[in-house]
Amino acid sequence: MRVVLQPLALAAVVVLAGCATHHPKRVALTGDPLVDGQNALQQGPARDHVLWEYRMAASAFRRGQFAEAKKWLDDALPRIGGIIANDRDAKKARGLFHTEARKMFIGEPYERVMAYYYRGILYWMDGEPDNARACFRSAQFMDADTENKTYAADYVLLDYLDGFITARLGGDGSDELKRAKASAKNSTPPPYLTNANVLVFLEFGHGPVKYAAGEHAQMLRFREGRSSARSVSLQVGGKKYPVLAYDDLHFQATTRGGRVMDHILANKAVFKDTTSVVGDAAIISGLALASTGEHNEAAAIVGGLGVLSKIFSSATTPEADIRAWDNLPQFLSFAALTLPPGPHEITLDFQGADGRTLVTKKVTFTVTEARRDLVLFVSELNS
Amino acid sequence: MMNTKLILQSTVLSGAVAGLALVSGCASGVKNPSGTPVTEMRPDEKGFVVGTGVESTDLVRVTDKMARGILGCAQIANAPAAPWIVLDPVMNETRFPVNKTLFLDRIRGQLISKAQGKARFLARERMTVLEQERQMKRSGQLTSTSDPAVQEFKGADFFLTGKLSGMSSSAAGGISDYILYSFQLIDARTSEIVWEGADEIKKQGVADAVYR
Repeated sequence: MRVVLQPLALAAVVVLAGCATHHPKRVALTGDPLVDGQNALQQGPARDHVLWEYRMAASAFRRGQFAEAKKWLDDALPRIGGIIANDRDAKKARGLFHTEARKMFIGEPYERVMAYYYRGILYWMDGEPDNARACFRSAQFMDADTENKTYAADYVLLDYLDGFITARLGGDGSDELKRAKASAKNSTPPPYLTNANVLVFLEFGHGPVKYAAGEHAQMLRFREGRSSARSVSLQVGGKKYPVLAYDDLHFQATTRGGRVMDHILANKAVFKDTTSVVGDAAIISGLALASTGEHNEAAAIVGGLGVLSKIFSSATTPEADIRAWDNLPQFLSFAALTLPPGPHEITLDFQGADGRTLVTKKVTFTVTEARRDLVLFVSELNS
Repeated sequence: MMNTKLILQSTVLSGAVAGLALVSGCASGVKNPSGTPVTEMRPDEKGFVVGTGVESTDLVRVTDKMARGILGCAQIANAPAAPWIVLDPVMNETRFPVNKTLFLDRIRGQLISKAQGKARFLARERMTVLEQERQMKRSGQLTSTSDPAVQEFKGADFFLTGKLSGMSSSAAGGISDYILYSFQLIDARTSEIVWEGADEIKKQGVADAVYR
């Protein structure tokens, strides 16, 4: 018996040691996405680069470092916009003995949507509304392939902004407005204010949190982030404009239905369970045979197969990938204003469901040319 | 005898396990650890990073075709004097953000290098700087080899512009994108479209299941 089990134990050590040795170095986190991101890009695994670029872009955006935000998004977007096929890491992530997190991170669709959304705002800030529209269209496209078609491409703001820009550029835009209104849940967007010269993008609340459920953590799930703010009161020039959220990222994350990868992970979980049960049964049978003292050879073989099966079970990794763009907002909103040339101050009260003001932010700016778009971005979140 | 058999069986068994472990690739934590050196490629060559959007291969193909088309246009080929052309940025109606000046810049480059003076271009996008220069010359802040008071900025005979339109679809992880690249040469005096050329490219692909 020892003759059989010793080499098997050795083989098990080879399997486990082989999995454990070459993992890239963990990078110590400071809590500042811009610092941590730079460290991760230099020292962390390449498969997490897009994740850190997302986080850095959001952080830079909120600090008003728009060139920095553009740099990270421009690096991330070609990767998420391309078709990732015949990729070695992706193939491994599908395999039984590698976790899903082995693949290059590009994010779930709501995360990819946000990368395009932020880049779109930056294009608009730079006076390129058609490229901004291209980004909003790509963002909506990221959400098109849902299992449940009711929720396909149903971001209100993305259709609204697509049509708004189209109308501003002399096109129609009415179909997009119709679609935006049809998708609206919280609040219905107003008709386009085509002569608006100040465009305010607002975001509030904390984005969805990923977690893994199931016996083997094989099911990707989302829970709502901490979000107290539910609306914004925008005040400028003595007038108040209530602004409600058009889109909710938690809703978007949870209404897509299953992923193809979920089926792969479920199969991995079944394999893990089956090989474990078979392993237990074989080991017990082997011990039973050995206890008779008459079938030592058979006992050793059956027991050995049991151990082998347990090794396979143990090495199977059905865990869902829960790496997440963790500094996203929950709610997205937008307001278009027509203001006369000159200096202005906008006061934004982020309010809870009861109407109580939770956070107040002020933005000062000068409208220099009545016809030029001035794009402002205000987030309730800290950088 | 039995011991030898057992040793043989167990060795084969454990060898199989260890082999599987190695084959399954547990040991490779880093993909392509030595990296890929910078590779110089022709702009019309397909690279490693491919999407369904606008790429340099498309740019080269489309602008080459447009430049050939413009050169064959009667208003350019048979013009008694080489006409002045102004580039008007293309309009992007696709879902892909693009560098909008790149297409016209390349067409201009192709026309200048191949047209042998049959088409001339005005730097209208530099007007702010040019006007400042002229103003400083007029005010005596700068020297001038000619009379700066004389209006010498030229008007355009033609505008060259274009539009990128697209159609996208997505199903079961597959993505398909069709882009129509259309360009027009417009007579600045009459608004007549004297030449129009188009090219269309469709791309599709299916992402790995881990991304679906």
